[in-house]
Amino acid sequence: MDITSKSIKDLRSMLDSKEISAKELTSEYFDRIKKYDGKIKSYITVTEEKAFADAEKAQEKINAGDADLLCGIPMAIKDNICTEGVKTTCASKMLEDFVPPYNATVMNKLEEKNIVMLGKLSMDEFAMGGSTQTSAFAKTKNPYDIERVPGGSSGGSAAAVSASLCTAALGSDTGGSIRQPSAFCGVTGLKPTYSRVSRYGLVAFASSLDQIGPVAKNAYDCGIILNAIAGYDPHDGTASKSATMDYTSEIGKGIKGMKIAIPREFYAEGIDEDVRKAVMDSAKIYESMGAELVDCSMPSLKYAVSAYYLISSAEAASNLSRYDGIKYGHRSTKGDNFNELICNSRSEGFGEEVKRRILLGNYALSSGYYDAYYGKAMALRQKIRAEYADIFEKCDVILTPTTPTVAYKADESISDPVKMYQADICTVTVNIASLPAISTTCGYDAKGMPIGMSIVGKQFDESVIIKVADAFEKQFNPVQPVL
Amino acid sequence: MDLEMVSYLSKLGKLAFSDDELKKTAEDMTSIIEIMDTIKEIDITYDALADNHNVYLNDLREDISAPSMETAKILQNAKNSNNCFVVPKVVE
Repeated sequence: MDITSKSIKDLRSMLDSKEISAKELTSEYFDRIKKYDGKIKSYITVTEEKAFADAEKAQEKINAGDADLLCGIPMAIKDNICTEGVKTTCASKMLEDFVPPYNATVMNKLEEKNIVMLGKLSMDEFAMGGSTQTSAFAKTKNPYDIERVPGGSSGGSAAAVSASLCTAALGSDTGGSIRQPSAFCGVTGLKPTYSRVSRYGLVAFASSLDQIGPVAKNAYDCGIILNAIAGYDPHDGTASKSATMDYTSEIGKGIKGMKIAIPREFYAEGIDEDVRKAVMDSAKIYESMGAELVDCSMPSLKYAVSAYYLISSAEAASNLSRYDGIKYGHRSTKGDNFNELICNSRSEGFGEEVKRRILLGNYALSSGYYDAYYGKAMALRQKIRAEYADIFEKCDVILTPTTPTVAYKADESISDPVKMYQADICTVTVNIASLPAISTTCGYDAKGMPIGMSIVGKQFDESVIIKVADAFEKQFNPVQPVL
Repeated sequence: MDLEMVSYLSKLGKLAFSDDELKKTAEDMTSIIEIMDTIKEIDITYDALADNHNVYLNDLREDISAPSMETAKILQNAKNSNNCFVVPKVVE
């Protein structure tokens, strides 16, 4: 097995036993990035000099016997998470040369653990999309078939982990942006409970839905990263003060007696047969491990995509009003007055999809339409939360497909925004209800494309969903992509 | 969605479109609004009093003053600055 395809746990023991140094490990990844990323296009910025400096610091810790689990582990970061002194573009012309003057809280936390940062990863522009084809700089390919999309918006994160161009990555998830690309690229992605991880320094898309989380080779690695990034942050007024824990602590405790909800609407029309079968077969495996499958219903699922796009676009329209070309970001050379300068800067800096979301958000919030759209979407948000609460009264976790289909060809769908929006049906309710969920690979279709399943938990029950995902992964034989 | 509405929303969002872009955007927005309209089927209303799940306002930090970011750092990404953000003349 190539060293770059190893998990955090395996690399930890190799680093600690001095089988390999942090510098040698870092070199292995850069060799691979140079060899393959021209094909995969997962990175927007590669930070080689910084990575070797990080590796040196990490090695000092290792030599002193003072290494944390993430010390010396080569990670990469989605390009909407601020990294002090390193360009953070959000895959948009608007922020093409933006260099943050501060670190996101998650970056400070990872640097405290002495990770080695390899670079910044591509994504859909401003995290708006599910294909990474709206990136202004790197239209990432799926490592299992480069004609297909890696998903999105954290497509760079999922593709880089899948292609072993980093050991693990950070992504962000507003409506499925960690889980959907993880499913498409055959890796494991965790969206924590809203408020569990600080959003300070995450470029805002929809503030009531956004959450940072890990993408990794397996659930255990996701838990290790969540241990490092979770917790209260005085810089984020929505970060929870509730106590954190060791999110890997439940692993191995077994799932006998657990009740796994199977909400029938998630397996209905619109879900590909290959996907439905792979997830139901996985449910049967859980049953054979001693879990009980419970049939249940989420009647509001058919309205979820509309509610999600109305709420997220309304928040995006507000959040993106900060881009005026004056304080930072693209500034037009055209415009005779203040308003023209702002209008031209925004029109030149934003891509088509971002503009559509701003228009939709303003429509949903505008006088005469507010009650019919935004008001109704917020009412649905309450209803969806209530439906989840009902299910969780009887069950421990919920099992659903992560996506209705496997990864599609890059030329399919992406020019049709409606088709793209509807593909989010399996993931958006988790964000609407502020819940944690993890996607892991549960099978492959006839063409060898990965299929993902999602395990959804109660608020702050990350350790439970990590345990459930890990239990499946331990008996599953993943197929690595051939580059 | 007609061209007049798209123009109005563009103005609200401080976005400019060419005539062709406006036409294409109106077509896209019409299809998008069609799927958004599915929520009109359901008769429910938002209860603001019941909705305190999502924002943890009790977790705000103590109101203690701390040093702010230095001016040079704040201005480092501005395309036009002179110890302040430079904007086109606003008062004529």
